[in-house]
Amino acid sequence: MTALALVLACGPALLAAQETPGAVGAAEAEGAAGAPVSELSEAELDALTAEVAAELRCPVCRNQAVIESSAELSREMQATIRTKLAAGESPAEVRAYFVSRYGEWILLKPTARGVSLAVYALPALVLLLGGAFLLARIRGWARSGSVEGAHPLEGVSDEDQRWLDDAIRRP
Amino acid sequence: MSGMKAWLLPMAAIPFLLLLGYGLTRDTFVLPSPLEGRPAPDFRLATMSGDSLGLDDLRGRVVVLNFWASWCVPCRVEHPALLQAHNTYDPDEAVVVGVVYQDSKGNAQRFLDRFGGGWTSVLDPGTRVAIDFGVYGVPETFFIGRDGSIARKHIGPVNWELVKSTVDSLLALPAGTEETVTAVDVGESPHPATTESVD
Repeated sequence: MTALALVLACGPALLAAQETPGAVGAAEAEGAAGAPVSELSEAELDALTAEVAAELRCPVCRNQAVIESSAELSREMQATIRTKLAAGESPAEVRAYFVSRYGEWILLKPTARGVSLAVYALPALVLLLGGAFLLARIRGWARSGSVEGAHPLEGVSDEDQRWLDDAIRRP
Repeated sequence: MSGMKAWLLPMAAIPFLLLLGYGLTRDTFVLPSPLEGRPAPDFRLATMSGDSLGLDDLRGRVVVLNFWASWCVPCRVEHPALLQAHNTYDPDEAVVVGVVYQDSKGNAQRFLDRFGGGWTSVLDPGTRVAIDFGVYGVPETFFIGRDGSIARKHIGPVNWELVKSTVDSLLALPAGTEETVTAVDVGESPHPATTESVD
């Protein structure tokens, strides 16, 4: 049942989005005297919200970005992003906020630290080592595959052998 | 083929296999919270009865902050443990506080009418407080010490042994201590519900 619910939530949206202003408490500046307020237009705010939401992972549908997911939590996260940007926070500050609450995994591109460093570095390393291995192997084949190194055929006259060698060597 | 090249391929594979092996040991549903050991984010929300409750009001008491929803099956499973906590502890010492997650007041009230529970539940419109606590599904329970810091976050349904051992440890700490509590691990279940189920 949970799996079905997940599929339903992460698929196309059927429910209308809720837009409720933040009610968390003292944390959010909503145009209070002296608090920073963004100078961006509504359209610019929407665009910036989409940008930030594209970099955050939906906590419910983990392989989707918040901007793509129609899970309710993602929609609420988008509203939170917009509220914070409207209050003057920078995208970096908004990202830092989510990392401070959820952890590094909330970013679709975690910073390269600890195990994440291994995840980024290892494929490159494997590619390099694998490439070096292949190169060495191919060179070995090229050497042993030359006409001079081939085993002589049984029961073939010298004239036929020479004809054969010529045919192989010809490009 | 020369002897040196023979070990090159296995050498390339080993760190990769180690990483994959490490990955298999991870439970991707239960993710560590960066909030453990840090002060609990403050909030002030409307209760089910229309009053307002702020986390500040509870400073000095151990708080079992439980995020729940009426559509969440494991929340029903853990409900008796919360009921027992509510009936065991002196409310001046330790309280259970519920936060309704992505649910209507009507549904939440019906749940409480049916299953009981005398502790306060607050409504979280817009999921703001849940996001502030890094909640991504229900149930999730935060054990907050008397100094207001989050000692432990539990993902999935709690049971009485877990609640009792954690709350007892936190009660034993003098107010003002900021130690994280490592309660005894008793039957941790994987995270059960992350969205509204078709009920």
